[in-house]
Amino acid sequence: MAALSDRMPDPRGVRIALSAPIEGLGPLVLEPPQLPLVAVPRMAGEGLLGGTAPVEPAGLEEPAGDGSAQVLVDGEPIAAELSFLDGERAILRGEGHDEATRVLLLPPPAAPGLRQGISHREVIVDGWRIEVEVESAARAALRERASRGREEATHSGPTEVHAIIPGVVVAVSVAAGDAVVAGQQLLVVEAMKMQNELRAPRDGTVERIAVGPGVTIEVGDLLLVLS
Amino acid sequence: MATSRSEPARTAPAGRASLPNDAAVDPPFRRVLIANRGEIAVRIIRACRELGVEAVAVYSDSDRAAAHVRLADVAVRLGPPPPTESYLRIDAVVKAALDTGAEAIHPGYGFLAERAAFARAVEAAGLVFIGPPPAAIEALGDKLHARRLADSVGVEAVPGTLEPAPVDRPDQVHAIVAEAERIGFPLLIKAAAGGGGRGMRRVERARDLPAALASGSREAASAFGDGSVYLEREIRPARHVEVQLLGDGEGTVVALGERDCSLQRRHQKLVEEAPAPGREPDARRRLHEMAVRLGAAAGLRNAATAEFLLAPDGSFYFLEVNTRLQVEHGVTELVAGVDIVREQLAIAAGRPLSEAPRAAAARAAEPEGHAIEVRLSAEDPGRDFAPTPGGVRRWIMPAGPGVRVDTAIEAGDRVPPEYDNLIAKVMVHGADREAAIDRLRRALDETEIAGIQTTLPFHRFVARDPSFRAGEVSTDWVAARWDGPAEHARAARAAQLAAGLAALDRAAADGAAAMATPLRHITTSDGRWRRSGIEGLVDRWPR
Repeated sequence: MAALSDRMPDPRGVRIALSAPIEGLGPLVLEPPQLPLVAVPRMAGEGLLGGTAPVEPAGLEEPAGDGSAQVLVDGEPIAAELSFLDGERAILRGEGHDEATRVLLLPPPAAPGLRQGISHREVIVDGWRIEVEVESAARAALRERASRGREEATHSGPTEVHAIIPGVVVAVSVAAGDAVVAGQQLLVVEAMKMQNELRAPRDGTVERIAVGPGVTIEVGDLLLVLS
Repeated sequence: MATSRSEPARTAPAGRASLPNDAAVDPPFRRVLIANRGEIAVRIIRACRELGVEAVAVYSDSDRAAAHVRLADVAVRLGPPPPTESYLRIDAVVKAALDTGAEAIHPGYGFLAERAAFARAVEAAGLVFIGPPPAAIEALGDKLHARRLADSVGVEAVPGTLEPAPVDRPDQVHAIVAEAERIGFPLLIKAAAGGGGRGMRRVERARDLPAALASGSREAASAFGDGSVYLEREIRPARHVEVQLLGDGEGTVVALGERDCSLQRRHQKLVEEAPAPGREPDARRRLHEMAVRLGAAAGLRNAATAEFLLAPDGSFYFLEVNTRLQVEHGVTELVAGVDIVREQLAIAAGRPLSEAPRAAAARAAEPEGHAIEVRLSAEDPGRDFAPTPGGVRRWIMPAGPGVRVDTAIEAGDRVPPEYDNLIAKVMVHGADREAAIDRLRRALDETEIAGIQTTLPFHRFVARDPSFRAGEVSTDWVAARWDGPAEHARAARAAQLAAGLAALDRAAADGAAAMATPLRHITTSDGRWRRSGIEGLVDRWPR
């Protein structure tokens, strides 16, 4: 993210965020191969007005299609290439992937993106199912700058805890007004014969509990509010 | 799913003796009800169809259009989705069988399969229960009883107690602690009526024992209605090896071979293989012989499985008997060349054990090739195998030589949250273990699932892991080898990269025509002109 605040990304760049966050993995910014700028030695006595450009675009040809295309990933040039086999299956080569990795790129799952300018994709890699959000990198950077102040202001406010799996609430371990610490069990949800504990995402006080034992919940349902 | 809709079953003509297994000539039953759902219901319906037996399915409201309903000849609604209101309703299942004229009920696994009360209700209704007799289910379902039975026929059970431990009896604390010292710490407290790890407690020190006994007993009482618990030595690292038994109720019990089910987490099996790797035929023969002795002593009829723990020193200890068809029966079918469900139906019809299982039993210590099964479940192996019910968008299963897939899922189906999360069993069969692992790796490469997260990444990892290939399996393997979050993060990075490259490609393709003209002719040294032009284009790209 540091790279983002330093400079505006290439306007053609894209930012790929994970719909479900994974610890240690931020959004990835990909920018097209930058046109290599070749420095032209400045002749003595000849300035800008002398007619020679300080630098000159080296080439404006089509993007390289020779199989080892360079792409900027978070500002670092990386050789990576994606070749589609059909509309959805593709082979990813490069970036530490010794062998070619089979990838499935699918259109957005049932619920399409609500926010304008962001398109969702379901990507399958080695059996893992990863939902990503694709956005123009420049747009994302602007949006981020605009919302940075706001986010900091709301960070100390209430946190809504939503259901991440569907199931039935079998036990509620806290009551409104209870002080909880991060990791403390809040409630138990039974899904597919298994009991799953839901734990507090941070320290706080239980402001409100929206469900009770026996209630059937769907993904995204509000369970409780921490303040 | 190319099932030929056979004509109504014909009445049995003569020639039964010469063709004991020829279904078209002589089906064991006219009509059988399958009291289950999912892949196992489909598996049993397939056997019925092959035998010329009509299949009756039962379903809950969330399974109205499920595969087992589509495949059956008749289907009966049981009730709303929760198992207690549908698949676990003994009265409704028996009534469905009587209403549809079914002669027998196959319980599959799970649900009512090991409830003696169900087997009794089926028999009381004048129907045949396709499984062991109720008395055997009851006797072997009580693990303490099974341990005593093993003791009585000279089969060594895991060292521990044979009687229920006293709970909340201060006067007997001394005695039980002394007993525990004799067994050795760490030890396990287990529920006599137990299963799935409920009521189980691990105790490392004597002073923790009384409290653990009380809490284990409480949990067992609430889960099974029976708070009896006992002590057992913890054997670690252990391998879980089980023997498939078939008995005909006329005194013949045979072992079809063993399976190694060591790859587990929280007592849930993930991978099973047959035969157990690294065992000599002699050791296998001794193990099979122990299991047969147990089955015979219990008066076993139909199919059951005797489970053992294999200690690091190579000795086998009896653990428990499961009186039902196991999830993993398929790997034994592949190496033994026996259709176990077909045999179950024949045995339930009162026929003596046929030639196929007898022949398989004779060569069980030296089976044909090697088979491996992986259980694809709706679970997230990156988040501690949390359940992931939902809609399956894409569902491509492997095929080709030596691959068998048992499933009830199709693309577009939903995996409901109410039931077991097993969605497919991918089995492979090869000339030896090496070949089977190679085949497994290939088969899983062909597998494509989208819409829900499954355990596929874990199984792909297993198929590539050198220690699995070396046969170094144990019940500690998953915890020691599998780093789900790291594997998940690595794949997520690749997914981001792939999605980004695709988006860049798309943008380039969309913009190429428009971009080409202005860019080609801009020769100014100042990039800002070009940049503003591109920015204008960017805003016009479809997103």
